[in-house]
Amino acid sequence: MLFFFLPLFLFFLMIGLPVFFGMLAAPGFLLWLNGQERDIALLYRNVYTGMDSFPLMAIPFFMLAGELMNRGGITMRIVEFSQAMIGHLKGGLAHVNIMSSMLFAGLSGSAVADVSALGSMLIPAMEKNGYKRRFAAAVTAASSVIGPIIPPSGIMIIYAYVMGESVAALFLAGIVPGILIGISLMLVVGFLAKRNDFPAASRRATWPEKGQASLKAFFPLLTPVIILGGILGGVFTPTEASAVAAVYAFIVALFILKTMGWADLPKVLTKAAMTTSVVLLLVGAAMAFKTVVSLSHAPEIMANFILGLSENPYILLFLINILLFVVGMFLDAGPAIIILGPILGPIFTDLGVHPVHFAIIMSVNLTVGLATPPMGLVLFVTSSVSGERVETIAKAILPFLAVQIVAIFLITFVPQISLYLPQLFGFAN
Amino acid sequence: MAVILGVLKPLGRLVTLLLRAGRNFAWIAMGLMVLIIMLQVFFRYVLGNALAWPDEGARFLMLWMTALIAPTAYRWGGFVSIDMVKDLLPPRIGAVLGLALLLVSLVVLVYGFRLGLNHVNSGWLFASSSLKLPLEFLGLGLVRIKLAWMYMSLPVGLFLMILVNIELCLKSIAYLIDPDADLPEDHDRVIVAVE
Repeated sequence: MLFFFLPLFLFFLMIGLPVFFGMLAAPGFLLWLNGQERDIALLYRNVYTGMDSFPLMAIPFFMLAGELMNRGGITMRIVEFSQAMIGHLKGGLAHVNIMSSMLFAGLSGSAVADVSALGSMLIPAMEKNGYKRRFAAAVTAASSVIGPIIPPSGIMIIYAYVMGESVAALFLAGIVPGILIGISLMLVVGFLAKRNDFPAASRRATWPEKGQASLKAFFPLLTPVIILGGILGGVFTPTEASAVAAVYAFIVALFILKTMGWADLPKVLTKAAMTTSVVLLLVGAAMAFKTVVSLSHAPEIMANFILGLSENPYILLFLINILLFVVGMFLDAGPAIIILGPILGPIFTDLGVHPVHFAIIMSVNLTVGLATPPMGLVLFVTSSVSGERVETIAKAILPFLAVQIVAIFLITFVPQISLYLPQLFGFAN
Repeated sequence: MAVILGVLKPLGRLVTLLLRAGRNFAWIAMGLMVLIIMLQVFFRYVLGNALAWPDEGARFLMLWMTALIAPTAYRWGGFVSIDMVKDLLPPRIGAVLGLALLLVSLVVLVYGFRLGLNHVNSGWLFASSSLKLPLEFLGLGLVRIKLAWMYMSLPVGLFLMILVNIELCLKSIAYLIDPDADLPEDHDRVIVAVE
């Protein structure tokens, strides 16, 4: 009986019930039908205890840091820096868009923040420069998924929280895959630029100009160094590092760049608090959902099913890639990790896949899913930022999606891409 | 229709006021959380003396922040959902579906609220391990804060969301009766959302 919570949940989701309510209504309804009132109370308590967590507090702080940097004009400096470095290439602004996404990923932990910050600036600029708007929107959406892969990363904090992994190891493991995806997107732009004769900046930036742009971007670009350095050096916990990042962003915006005033502060805090509240409620609901998942014996059934398909980890990883990709189309990365992580993680660790490697496989798969229809949150935001229809962007994004899928396979089948850095720093064996 | 609008308008004003207060609390809580964590880092590294309460204190604020600002997110359409089916249906049928979904959400909220009250009641039995109020001036000494004060956050948030949900239900009923009806708007949304 209880096994039907998953189909019921998907049904609720498809007809348009918000994910938060769906995750509670589906298992709650079935428990009620079963007469398990006591377990419904458990459901409620798990929503609460799921949210009541110190490690999760890194999420609001990283949101705040991102919001502060955006408001403080730091986004603009990152774009100018990228422009000075690679704007002269054919398809310059498209490359700039991707490079800015990669740099911005080092400051923020969410793809949506990336889209709204960079999209509102770069999509109009690209259009003015002669690009089609749908292409500009597609580049922005495709490259924004790097946001949660290169640290800091909201979903990796959630993964570490649910699965008991080290945040530092996951953060380190995300760096190379994130850069890999960025470079593969740039290759697509390079190819399209030649074929469609994309514009480039009128001239190459001179060295003094490059120096100037680097200087202006220096303080913002120091953020990832502080965050990662602090965590890796054992100076702060990830939560503390996120608070330090927020304070640092605040100081940079208010006192160094002077692009923000005290009066802007309430608004910035409100925005960050609001985005956080939605994420935290989702995490709470997903933690509650997870308890029902385990009550229902779904993990055993699923494990038996998966292991029955094949014993070859490579084939299974391939199948998991497909499964996660499809899940990512419908479900936000955070809840998907909370629900599926505890089911899939142990199966694959038993098969010999490194837990950190598996974390990256899951995170990359699910984030790429953020930019695919019908439930691609990134697509919705890009659509509202650019004014282009979701369907149009979804079509224009296909070539980028194709290389992202290739990148996912590389990341899946070459563990060293993810494991090299964490092993180098001794955060994974 | 007049009845619906008669309820909707004062309810809308009440919700606007409550949520505005909630947002104000939430941003202050967010700022305090940052300060508390910085204080923790400062005490541990500079003074070499780790404090016991910042961890729990910051979580206390985070829970209340979430509870008090999430209803605004709910009211402003910040809860993610797939609207494909609703958009494909003819407007009136889509609106009926929307109303049905709101009612499902209402059941979840009301049920959650009731469970939340039980949870709060149990919270009076337990005291926080690190949060204490210095009430010496009242002759009470150091008073440990009861966990119920933390537990209370979620039901309060759910209650506010129930109000928002009822408002949204009434709006969608009003829309079903008269698609051109002049329904009250939340003007705060414009003020906060506009850059």
